Amino acid sequence: MVATAPERSTRSRSWRWTAFTGVSLLALVTIHMVAHHFVVEEIGGLRTYQHVLDYISTPIIFVIEGVFLVVVTVHAMLGLRSVLFDFGLSERWRRRLELGLVTLGIVTVVYGFILIGVLASRA
Amino acid sequence: MTTETTSTRRLRVHRFKRGDDAPHVEEFDVPMGEDATVLEALRWIQLHGDPSLGLRHSCFHASCGTCGVRVNGRERLACVTKLADFSGTITVDPIANLPVLLDVVVDMATFFAHYPDPHPIVRESGFLPEAAVADDLDGHERYEDCIECGLCLSACPVAATDDSYVGPAALAYAQRLLEEPRDGVDRNALLDWADQDAGAWRCHAAFECTEACPSDVRPAQRIMSLRKELRHRRSEQGRKVPEQAAGEEAT
Amino acid sequence: MSETRAPFDRERDAGVEEILRGRRQPAPVSRKLPGPIAWFDLRSRNTGHLAFSLNRVTGLGLVAYLYLHLAVLSQLLGGEDAWNDFLEVATTPLFLGLDVLLVFGLLAHGLNGTRVALVGSGFVPNRQKALFWSLMAFGAIVLVYSALHIFGGEA
Repeated sequence: MVATAPERSTRSRSWRWTAFTGVSLLALVTIHMVAHHFVVEEIGGLRTYQHVLDYISTPIIFVIEGVFLVVVTVHAMLGLRSVLFDFGLSERWRRRLELGLVTLGIVTVVYGFILIGVLASRA
Repeated sequence: MTTETTSTRRLRVHRFKRGDDAPHVEEFDVPMGEDATVLEALRWIQLHGDPSLGLRHSCFHASCGTCGVRVNGRERLACVTKLADFSGTITVDPIANLPVLLDVVVDMATFFAHYPDPHPIVRESGFLPEAAVADDLDGHERYEDCIECGLCLSACPVAATDDSYVGPAALAYAQRLLEEPRDGVDRNALLDWADQDAGAWRCHAAFECTEACPSDVRPAQRIMSLRKELRHRRSEQGRKVPEQAAGEEAT
Repeated sequence: MSETRAPFDRERDAGVEEILRGRRQPAPVSRKLPGPIAWFDLRSRNTGHLAFSLNRVTGLGLVAYLYLHLAVLSQLLGGEDAWNDFLEVATTPLFLGLDVLLVFGLLAHGLNGTRVALVGSGFVPNRQKALFWSLMAFGAIVLVYSALHIFGGEA
């Protein structure tokens, strides 16, 4: 019953990264939500097409939104992993799930960067 | 001579015998005094209603942990849970997340199977000269509050879907072993055991185990302390690696 | 002196055989509710379980929203007209209400997640209930302010 652990514990890694990305998101989500709902004087604070292009083409904004995309995707994938692991999956299915979530996360980030990259280039 | 007021209470009791297709519920009208407990009501059913009703109990005073059940959905020790605390029909079910052997009796072997192994079941307990309470202390904290009733495992939302999760009782037990200054405890082996996917990191801080515990063990808090220990160990291991490397260079 | 009981007799001990047969059946695990439904069953549960359920619901909802959001933002690739068509829908009361729901989800998940991170790191585990309700109270204030702004058009 005693588990054999590697020299450095890896099992706490997902919890630590979930907590770290979560804390980071407190700031990043706040920035994102304020920027997109509380700045522009339109209904709901929603930006028009040109507003969006002007916004995303600003270098510092591009970086912040890019970091936000990566952090929120990592947090989402870790959260999904945690929920799905609670179903008591076998070791084989856990590995498959982790591979699937890593793939989904990479696809999400790549698509997101393509999206904001194209929009930034149009400004 | 005092006369106790008697009223009739209706109990809906979970019934099941292995080999049955599915469990079912039976209702019993039980005449009980106002101070009667759920255990007394169940014993009345055994004696006057249905002698085949299976239940487990021992001490009658919340010390042995054997009479754990769910009363109206909440984990309780039947021996100290008063009928008067509930209105209407009272539902009695076995504690959750463990195999049901008979009616409200569960298989506690599964519960104990989650405990770290090997672990010292019987340990030498010596008289410590420090046992006298020092002037600046209110008293000693008792570490062995856990009566292994299983109510915490029943209340845990993670255990509801993952039978491999070792559970709050086993983790609290591991933390107690680390906290107690006794010999014979392999700290690293115990931390290795806790540091698994089904161990300390599976807890989602619902704290239902602490709410359900009838004995003030506070298993959720102990799980968080266990995590602290695991983090300290990790940072210590991280510091050791460069030192080991320096040692190798010197030789 | 007691009599020695005769060995097992099938006719006499038919009831015993039935019991023994039953004992060989696997014992089913007692569950409050099947599967993950139990995660969201708050009957007879406490603050911690409410927090756990809320975190789970909002977390799953926000994951779904992430992909919905990316799909919506893809409208921008269609140019100004495509985006303006979306804005017409997005500024209706129903969608503004969904925006408020989003803010609720973010606040509930973020603030409760803060509690989980703090408590799970060993900070104030004995105050987790008070911490939860304090954070939710703060979140409620922010939610009301946000809703007024979203529907009102300006702060």
